[in-house]
Amino acid sequence: MTPDPVLTEIFFHKVTAITEEMAITLQRTARTTYVKEAGDFGCALATPAGRFFAYPKVLGVSGFLDSNVAPALAHVPDLEPGDVVITNHPYASEGLASHMPDLHLIRPIFADGRIVAHAWDFIHSADIGGGVPSSISPRFSDLFQEGFQIPPVKLVKAGRMNEDFLTLYRANCRVPEVNMGDIKAMLAALLVGERRVHDLVDQLGVEGFLAMQRDLVNYAAAKARAVQRLIPDGTWEFWDLLDDDYVSKVPVRVRCRMTAKDGAVHLDFTGSDPQVAAAYNIPTGGKRHPWLTLKLMHFVFSHDRTIPINHGMFEHVTVEAPAGTIVNPEPPAAVGIRSATAIRLNEAIVGALTRAKPGLMPAPSGGIMIPSVLVEQDPRTGRRNVMVLQSLVGGTGGREGADGVDGRDSSLANQRNTPIEKTEEEAAAIITEYALRPDSGGAGRWRGGTGVIFSVRIAREGSAVLGRGMERFVFRPWGIGGGRPGLPARVVVNLGREGERELGKLDVFHPRPGDVVTIMTPGGGGFGDPLERPAADVLTDVLDGHVSLGVALRDYGVVISGETIDAAATLAERARLAALRGPLPAFSFGPEREAWEAVFDDAAMLRLNAALMRIGAHARSERRRAIFEAVIPGLPRAGTVPLDELVGDVAEARARLAREIDSLEAALAGRAA
Amino acid sequence: MTETSRFRIGIDVGGTFTDFVVADMAQERFLFHKEPSVPSDPSLSVERGMAAIFAEHAIMPGAVELVVHGTTIGLNAIIQRRGARMAMVVSRGNRDVLEIARLRLPSSYDFTVPREVPLVPRRLMFEVPARLRADGHVEERPDAASLDSIAAAIAAARVDAVAVMLLNAYRDPTLEREVADALRARLPGVPVTESSVLWPEVREYERALVGGLNAYIQPLMTAYFDRLKARVEGLGVRGPIYITANNGGTLSLETARARPIDTVLSGPASGVVAATRIGAAAERRELVTIDMGGTSADISIVQAGVPEFTTATFVGDFPLMMPVVNVGAIGAGGGSILWVDAQGVLKVGPASAGADPGPVCYGRGGTEPTITDCYVSLGIVDPTRFLGGRMQLDATAARAALDGLAERLGIAGDDRALAAAEAALRVASAKMATELTKLMATAGVDPRRYALVAFGGAGPTHANLLAEEAGLAAVLVPTAPGTFCALGAILADVRRDYVRTARHLVVPPEAAGVDEWPKVAAVIAALEAEALGWIAQEGALVGAHGLVVSLRVRYPDQAYELEIIVPESERAGLGARSLAALFHAEHQRLYGFVEAASPVQVTTVRLGVIGRVPPVSLPKAHASVPTVSGTRMIRHRGREIAAAVYERAAIGAGSVIDGPAIVEQPDTTVWILPGWRAEADALGTLHLAKGAAAVPREAMLAEAAR
Repeated sequence: MTPDPVLTEIFFHKVTAITEEMAITLQRTARTTYVKEAGDFGCALATPAGRFFAYPKVLGVSGFLDSNVAPALAHVPDLEPGDVVITNHPYASEGLASHMPDLHLIRPIFADGRIVAHAWDFIHSADIGGGVPSSISPRFSDLFQEGFQIPPVKLVKAGRMNEDFLTLYRANCRVPEVNMGDIKAMLAALLVGERRVHDLVDQLGVEGFLAMQRDLVNYAAAKARAVQRLIPDGTWEFWDLLDDDYVSKVPVRVRCRMTAKDGAVHLDFTGSDPQVAAAYNIPTGGKRHPWLTLKLMHFVFSHDRTIPINHGMFEHVTVEAPAGTIVNPEPPAAVGIRSATAIRLNEAIVGALTRAKPGLMPAPSGGIMIPSVLVEQDPRTGRRNVMVLQSLVGGTGGREGADGVDGRDSSLANQRNTPIEKTEEEAAAIITEYALRPDSGGAGRWRGGTGVIFSVRIAREGSAVLGRGMERFVFRPWGIGGGRPGLPARVVVNLGREGERELGKLDVFHPRPGDVVTIMTPGGGGFGDPLERPAADVLTDVLDGHVSLGVALRDYGVVISGETIDAAATLAERARLAALRGPLPAFSFGPEREAWEAVFDDAAMLRLNAALMRIGAHARSERRRAIFEAVIPGLPRAGTVPLDELVGDVAEARARLAREIDSLEAALAGRAA
Repeated sequence: MTETSRFRIGIDVGGTFTDFVVADMAQERFLFHKEPSVPSDPSLSVERGMAAIFAEHAIMPGAVELVVHGTTIGLNAIIQRRGARMAMVVSRGNRDVLEIARLRLPSSYDFTVPREVPLVPRRLMFEVPARLRADGHVEERPDAASLDSIAAAIAAARVDAVAVMLLNAYRDPTLEREVADALRARLPGVPVTESSVLWPEVREYERALVGGLNAYIQPLMTAYFDRLKARVEGLGVRGPIYITANNGGTLSLETARARPIDTVLSGPASGVVAATRIGAAAERRELVTIDMGGTSADISIVQAGVPEFTTATFVGDFPLMMPVVNVGAIGAGGGSILWVDAQGVLKVGPASAGADPGPVCYGRGGTEPTITDCYVSLGIVDPTRFLGGRMQLDATAARAALDGLAERLGIAGDDRALAAAEAALRVASAKMATELTKLMATAGVDPRRYALVAFGGAGPTHANLLAEEAGLAAVLVPTAPGTFCALGAILADVRRDYVRTARHLVVPPEAAGVDEWPKVAAVIAALEAEALGWIAQEGALVGAHGLVVSLRVRYPDQAYELEIIVPESERAGLGARSLAALFHAEHQRLYGFVEAASPVQVTTVRLGVIGRVPPVSLPKAHASVPTVSGTRMIRHRGREIAAAVYERAAIGAGSVIDGPAIVEQPDTTVWILPGWRAEADALGTLHLAKGAAAVPREAMLAEAAR
């Protein structure tokens, strides 16, 4: 159908403004710093059926557009005007709340006795109880450790606050005053949404308002499909790996099989690894879900900036996410740090799109988001002060037509950093370096953005450094079309000083006063042939310090003497490197992943996972670990010892793997018989 | 004219015209002048315009007591990146402060939106072993050899300016000064700027930009101010020249030379100053201003007669942490281009035809229809009287372009061009209204209590459409909306803002702990002394002064602060108890609860000093009954309606005009919608309101109470 050319545009601006006014109201009055500083909140208007037809363009979290409030509402019968439903339950809401600190509120909006829309908002609250302050830890294995579970219930019933619920809620979180301030802000924002929707309904009538919702959604659907037609028809497969599952050093694989046909896209995550016994699972209910479709949204929006941001963008997207896998865990699997897995899942989609047509997407970014935390102890009072030192990300990947961005990455949260001066107001420690990391960006015709180097010199006895979300220490951000991978992450104590030591991925590290702890984030992957990069651009990178002379020569074949290019020598060197190298690979993963997949190839992994999925969820994790450690006995040392070294003789490892799978399948067959 | 006459001249430089407003202080009248701008040397158009005014009105240059000038040279240099080639010197380990910036990228959705280009390229960033701790203790001090080698490297790079920004220098400027002095001695002729002298506030990226941008534009601005002074003095003017500032105040030429960063956003701020004054005269203290020109529309909020300030604005791509009048762009201007997307939906902007080639009706080669083409085609703007008849518009071409747009939209009928034009104005109004609503939500205020003050060439034309869409109470159209920023320049007082970090715990008697209020009080006193010392040197015209003190305050465990503006009445007796009370009240208002037993943490003190300049009286309008000069057919809501046409000059105080009506004046056209009524107040300002309720609500209530 054709949308009304004028009314649709006007309706689009009006409903977008409603959601933005809601967001402004929420942001102005919320208490938690997650809202104030990081912008970790969201507001939207949903159709009566529960999907968002209006969403803010610039405020709050961009990634929750593909949410659905209907499963949560299905638990709450007899909705009436003045009701507000609350939930944080990842399973009961089918992933509307994707971890429990996220508190979601839904207010059905009635007109003429029927629901014409739902106002929705959420915030990442400061604490929801559970095993640690702020309620998130990778080591949690189930929901009960992660805090106070709120299945969908009425927070407000016909305009009256449910005080019994609030009493229970306040007793179950560590900072009830802060949380109550946030709930008030959320309720105020919902009221703004309801009032503005009523104004619109007064102008358009109920039927007119509902018809405009449909038109606006269809308009987005048509635009999204036009962009998705850039993907050639066909089926493409790609997978990416998390370094480990936290409880062991066994990598976790997320697999995506993408099928495109005339702009309709199906994402099949079958073959992804089983759910893990750490907080890395993504609760999706097995249906289309924001964490599964986020990258497609970036793809569509980047090709058409005028698209109305609403669920129509996903009209022509379908998904398959089998139960029991890391992308659709069974309760009560822990979900606190689902974002770490989501980054890798996004990159699997990027890979599938790239297989379909190189150039549709940039190469992967550094692919991490580390809120590095320092704990200091006051020498007199013994009081512990916990502070975020810095939000650390890598660079973005190169793409057709542009280098990656150095030291920044908008792909998941797009947060702001903390000024060094603000950190040092709170900490006795000193930030000695916060700089770009030379040579970390993957070489390419379009260079990957560099990662960063962040160093802190410890001042006090009894200090601790924590780094949640540490990833890409083993498997690098890969390059596309001849582009090289970025350097992996590192953590080093006393870099370049006496007592230098590689720490690898850290959970908690207890440095001594005077120690300097250095975190290096990965660079983005390169895009295209480094030998095609104009020598002048390589020279610029060398003069600006992003690329060393050695790497200019080794990866780019550019010979520089003083501040000028030796043109003749460069020509010769590039010809020599091109001959040596042979045809350009579609993807460059780096030696670690190449070694790993020489053993654990796709066929073996699919077979293994199919068998593992037949074991109960509680036993699956242990069995899985036992199999991998039997195949690669050195695996527990991964992270500090290069993986390609640990893999050793590929043929022998493959033989061990075959035996393990055979015996597992035999046992299962015996059990079935 | 006699020698005892006194004149003040306000000058605002725009892209096309340089505007002049002359206040005749003896006779309480204003004179207006527009001079074509000379982009290559704006001071030339200043000289020409002043000479023309002197000749036309027989003004003796010696009778000019004050020239107030607003310039966009600095802003343009930043946006177009035409400033000085400069180096920046930072603490060791902090070389990438401009590269990493605040980490966030411009778009969360779109990976093709590029980041900003850093102000200083990485190779011209130099690290020096100079560092403070957060408590002001010197952690690392450079020796002569390291300073020699940095100076040599900077000299080899042949830069025109250097900025120094050391970590934690906001706590104590001494080390930055030592490094800067050492560089000055080694780099004769190269200006060196210190971040902490300009604006000693925590947050290294933002402070690096304050210092960096100041250094970046200073050579250009200094040269310009020298030229300006020479030209103005060459005309025989002996009165001082002041420059308009971002905070709505003015600065002496000497201060502006040292701190050009304080002037880069002054243009829009001046318009807000004028609107505040016009509003006050009309008993309207809750205002939204809209300045709509060819390429953009800017809005700003005035609450209780005071313009809203912000410390989170942008200059080009760069955040500016200093307090400025909060003016936000809401997109569409007269030149905004209308287009149709692949799905057949009508879009307005963001591309603009600007002033060149401009709208299709300008006949300068523009082919894409714009908002101004809609005004002309619908009959709102008379093509023969644009800019007082100085520019003839091509209505036929405008309509033809809109006809093409209508075709792409699938609109049928002979008058489809007009249908498309109306649709475009509706979309534009809806977009502007939504942006306006959001700005008001951010300020936490209700549009229904606010009047829209419209100025700029297109502001009064679109204001009524916007007010109706956004549900605003009224529209005010000043007598000379086309030169409003120039007017604001001569209405402004001298003003400068100061900041200091003062991280101290303030413990009221009812809370436990050691009260550090005396330390905060000492910081306020020191700032006051510095401010008063400055204002005393700022010129003979400056009379009485006022101070505005505000503090950033939080509970000790909070990660963010509230800005507490100390009311005039509380300033003298401010102490731990009253500050805590002010903070608790604001916290209660915003969050609905207080932690009454908790001490409060002060982090930052800000102080603004205002030097009162003897006020300019706004001239009264004569009283008269307006006469209709004609009738024009205007397309409105699908019908042709007859609108009475008036000349603005013929509308005296007390005049009442019912819409639909058009008011023509040399600098704009006012469109009064059907169902709206306009009344002229004592100054001649038009008040537009729906129905008969044009008189301010307060006046109505007073009437009712009688």
